[in-house]
Amino acid sequence: MREPDGRGGNPVSETIDRVNGAVGRAVAWCALALVAVQFVAVVQRYVFGIGWIWVEESIVYLHATLFMAGAAYTLLHEGHVRVDIFYAGADARQRAWVDLIGTVAFLWPLSGLICVKAWPYVLASWQILERSPETSGIPAVFLLKSLLLVFAALIALQGVSMAAKAIDTIGAPPDGEGDGGHGGGVEGPA
Amino acid sequence: MSDVLALGLFAATCLLILAGYPVAFTLAGTALLFAGLGNLLGVFDFGLLGAYGQQIFGRMTNPVLIAVPLFVFMGVMLERSKVAEELLDTMGMLFGRLRGGLGISVICVGALLAASTGIVGATVVTMGLLSLPTMLRRGYDPRLAAGSICAAGTLGQIIPPSIVLVLLGEVLASAYQQSQLKRGIFSPDTVSVGDLFAGALVPGVLLVALYIAYQLGMAWLRPESSPAIPAAQDAAHGRRLAARVMGALAPPALLIVAVLGSILGGIATPTEAAAVGSVGAGLLAAVKLDPKGRRSAYAAVLAMAGLIALGGVFDLRVGRTFIPGRDWLGIGLAIGLSAVLAIGVADAFRRIHRSGILREVMDGTLKITAMVFVILIGAALFALVFRGFGGDRLVHEFLTGLPGGAMGAMLFVMATLFVLGFFLDFIEIIYVVVPMVAPPLMAMGLDPLWIGVMIAVNLQTSFLTPPFGFALFYLRGVAPQSVTTLHIYSGVAPFIAIQVMALLILALFPALVLWLPRLIYG
Repeated sequence: MREPDGRGGNPVSETIDRVNGAVGRAVAWCALALVAVQFVAVVQRYVFGIGWIWVEESIVYLHATLFMAGAAYTLLHEGHVRVDIFYAGADARQRAWVDLIGTVAFLWPLSGLICVKAWPYVLASWQILERSPETSGIPAVFLLKSLLLVFAALIALQGVSMAAKAIDTIGAPPDGEGDGGHGGGVEGPA
Repeated sequence: MSDVLALGLFAATCLLILAGYPVAFTLAGTALLFAGLGNLLGVFDFGLLGAYGQQIFGRMTNPVLIAVPLFVFMGVMLERSKVAEELLDTMGMLFGRLRGGLGISVICVGALLAASTGIVGATVVTMGLLSLPTMLRRGYDPRLAAGSICAAGTLGQIIPPSIVLVLLGEVLASAYQQSQLKRGIFSPDTVSVGDLFAGALVPGVLLVALYIAYQLGMAWLRPESSPAIPAAQDAAHGRRLAARVMGALAPPALLIVAVLGSILGGIATPTEAAAVGSVGAGLLAAVKLDPKGRRSAYAAVLAMAGLIALGGVFDLRVGRTFIPGRDWLGIGLAIGLSAVLAIGVADAFRRIHRSGILREVMDGTLKITAMVFVILIGAALFALVFRGFGGDRLVHEFLTGLPGGAMGAMLFVMATLFVLGFFLDFIEIIYVVVPMVAPPLMAMGLDPLWIGVMIAVNLQTSFLTPPFGFALFYLRGVAPQSVTTLHIYSGVAPFIAIQVMALLILALFPALVLWLPRLIYG
């Protein structure tokens, strides 16, 4: 059922889509691992009356990795909610404008802000190779915090792909084969 | 000046969201633009955003929210493996020969299964694809069919266990704590997700009962609107029907009841229950997808039952300093059963993987979870900037200044949320609007659980109301041409009336919300 990644129509988008496609397919396994590890923790706790801190913590790591690294993949596959009162009826060119302006005005500034604000926070964690506050926890809190930068970088990258596709659509001849191709009932461009 | 910017931020966000760029990024981006503007005008200190990284980290590691991907996994598994579809079919057979029976099945299945995805659109689309063609083929009035599906699709949101309630519970808990601290109560009462589940259960059942009463009333007053399935067309009956009911209906129903029961009974946290529910959904899927999966699934279920039984006979805790020999026997047996359980579950998931469904389930879980959490990340920035402008104080002053005291304020909030529900989905409202309005309402003495349930029922009504209701758009998208938009609009009207009635009942009798949580948690 999965749509082919890397069919952006221009080399930049194709490359980025392929990267985020691969990342997304890889981190999707975190969902299964999350179920498995949490289930093991339940059996441990309710049957054998034990709880290992590193098991509990690995659940948090899997959970956070799932959506922080998978957010850009979700953007690639149109998984983020849009209010489509206008968007659903718009033609390909109007949609492209929304995507282009939104990426420039909203998405890139957000990832920029996260990079700027999270950088010292993550750096401080790396400098001391921050461990779990629990002695038997996972000694890799610096990796967990680094997910902030991974998130910001991957969505910014996906924004580049989205913007490039939008520019292609806007630049294409008006009655042409512009992508989207929802043809049919949609009114032509004004 | 900062007041103007706070209001401007809110208004601009509402407007810009309509352009159609993903909501999460629009929320964050608009807030950032306003922060920049405020900084230029000297009324906003960029230093306030310094905590943003830490805030995101806090949401990444919040233990309550780990229940979200797990409930999503369970819901997507039941849907993609067609367990949900078979449930609806079987229920249709069971009730189909009653007049109005098909409509009742749709409502029951919606209430049971819609719960775990938490997205109005997805639920209504699924229900629409599954049951609308059947209802029309059986000669249902298209208005009644469309109305039932929209209503059933939104109903699942407020019936626990639903991810919407997990998110709402988490937000209410922190709002409640804040509002008490502000009033100088330093050992605050708490509310939990489990409390909200308990509080929403009776109102949810009330709504289901009212919906079913309406179906029965229609079947009685206007029999032609909801005909029974003729007996001849209905091949399975008697023993064969009983077998199908046992096979297709009982297991998923038991699974949901077990998950909900263990949370309400205080046995397990929502996260733990959701993990067990996900594994259970996987076992059901394996049986459905691969005839040979039956053996592994049964072995796993029996091993689980065995473990529970062993726990009753022996003291299985291995962390003790002294363990008598008798208990070692039990522990040995338990380890053996755990191995059987692990092998059974692993084999079941291997079979789901081979059928290609596991890939889809993981992919769906990833996308829905990321969608939810990116909204959280965007809404965190929005809240930071809004508060930086003093927006929370503004809201507080406005609400407390309204005539009619707490009830006046509540009425205003409900009306506002109703309108916002036309544009925003549940999750956005929970993370953007509820943190703004809930603390003042609580400070005025309203109960947090009651506020939560009223908000949930209110939003559900909003999603049903023409011309903007979310549910209507989504059903329109999947309904055949023979069902007109007017059919859908007039079909939901009675359900909206039921919703309003339920809201009035809950407003007059808050005990309906508060009774069960108090009974369970004291």
